[in-house]
Amino acid sequence: MRLLLAEDERSLARALTVLLRKNNYEVDAVYDGEEAMAYLGSGNYDGAILDIMMPKRDGIDVLCQLRRQGNRLPVLLLTAKSEVDDKVLGLDSGANDYLTKPFASQELLARIRAMTREQTVQATSRLQVGNITLDRATFELSSPTGRLRLANKEFQMLELLMCNPRNLISTERFLEKIWGYDNEAEINVVWVYISYLRKKLAALHGNIQIKARRNAGYYLEEAI
Amino acid sequence: MTANEFYGPELAQMRLAERQVLEAVEELQRVWKAQGRQSPVLYTSSRIKSPESMCRKLAQRGQPQTRQAALTRVRDAVGVRVICGFQDDVYQVARWLEDQAAFSVLETKDYISYPKENGYRSYHLILGLRAGPGRGMTVEVQLRTIAIDFWASLEHQLKYKRQVPHARLVREELRRCADEIASVDLSMETIRELLAGSF
Repeated sequence: MRLLLAEDERSLARALTVLLRKNNYEVDAVYDGEEAMAYLGSGNYDGAILDIMMPKRDGIDVLCQLRRQGNRLPVLLLTAKSEVDDKVLGLDSGANDYLTKPFASQELLARIRAMTREQTVQATSRLQVGNITLDRATFELSSPTGRLRLANKEFQMLELLMCNPRNLISTERFLEKIWGYDNEAEINVVWVYISYLRKKLAALHGNIQIKARRNAGYYLEEAI
Repeated sequence: MTANEFYGPELAQMRLAERQVLEAVEELQRVWKAQGRQSPVLYTSSRIKSPESMCRKLAQRGQPQTRQAALTRVRDAVGVRVICGFQDDVYQVARWLEDQAAFSVLETKDYISYPKENGYRSYHLILGLRAGPGRGMTVEVQLRTIAIDFWASLEHQLKYKRQVPHARLVREELRRCADEIASVDLSMETIRELLAGSF
């Protein structure tokens, strides 16, 4: 797993790099926001740790640009201040988590594990499970035999399933994440969309299947 | 040149073959209606390939532009098109035609399950008529959904245009539309199953 560490305090950056490498992460360390953005542009990371207070561009700025580009890379913010406003701004800007300095190395490692857990982040905009590929840029669902274009909500549902293969995703989670909390969509809409996706995966001779767990939710499984 | 001049005495037999395949489709509609089921066929059309179009095709294939070659070297001198509402219906009609004792299936091409690179999706059947009024003739049947037929009618224009402005972009956009239409076809089929309670 490859991480980008953007931290302008050289001694802290060095210590963290050693700690992360010891824990089997690949680490690239950079020392300002501009460099961070350039490195992240390569798309080769599974997660980023960004200090908020950095020269040239601060961590929030980098994070905002990343999210504007549609990049969903897991991001952990480091903040020197324990001010509530900073944390709120960071999370609202799309950070997955934050940590206030000083912190224990054990906690940092646990938070990195949490934010990268089961997130299949790939270098390209394509998600692949089994013989099925989902292109996040074009909404194109394809297999070796053909391709289809998914409608917006179908795409979002399959994206969620393909990012978390074999993990159960509850019906409520689909509803909240895709239709929104305030929406009056009835809960049945989820299985109607699951039905569309099942039909489309079958039409493409997909070797992955959406399985249901009664009264719980759905998960993606490679067919045997 | 008229079809009569080009195909000569064979033309009558070709028309009988065309009629025979259309009647097989009408028979299916009668049987389904008698069973109280909604017909899988929305409409049909048919044609005898025009002499100009046939000669162009023969020339492309390096064949002599004769009646003899038109009936033996090319298999779509007689063509029937069947338009259905849903992909599932297309397969039902195809099975029915394939099962007719009077027809032998010379070739099937399933471009619905295996779409062409340009997005084209139809089910093609080459039938050899071994009994009945059209005996001895070969008929090409194209089956597709109404939504894809709509797409195909526009895509068809591309083939006969010599100079297409922004040809690459047009092809890419047509392909995207085919992929969207096929996706909607499958959604519609899912909703139909939902209405029928077969979930």
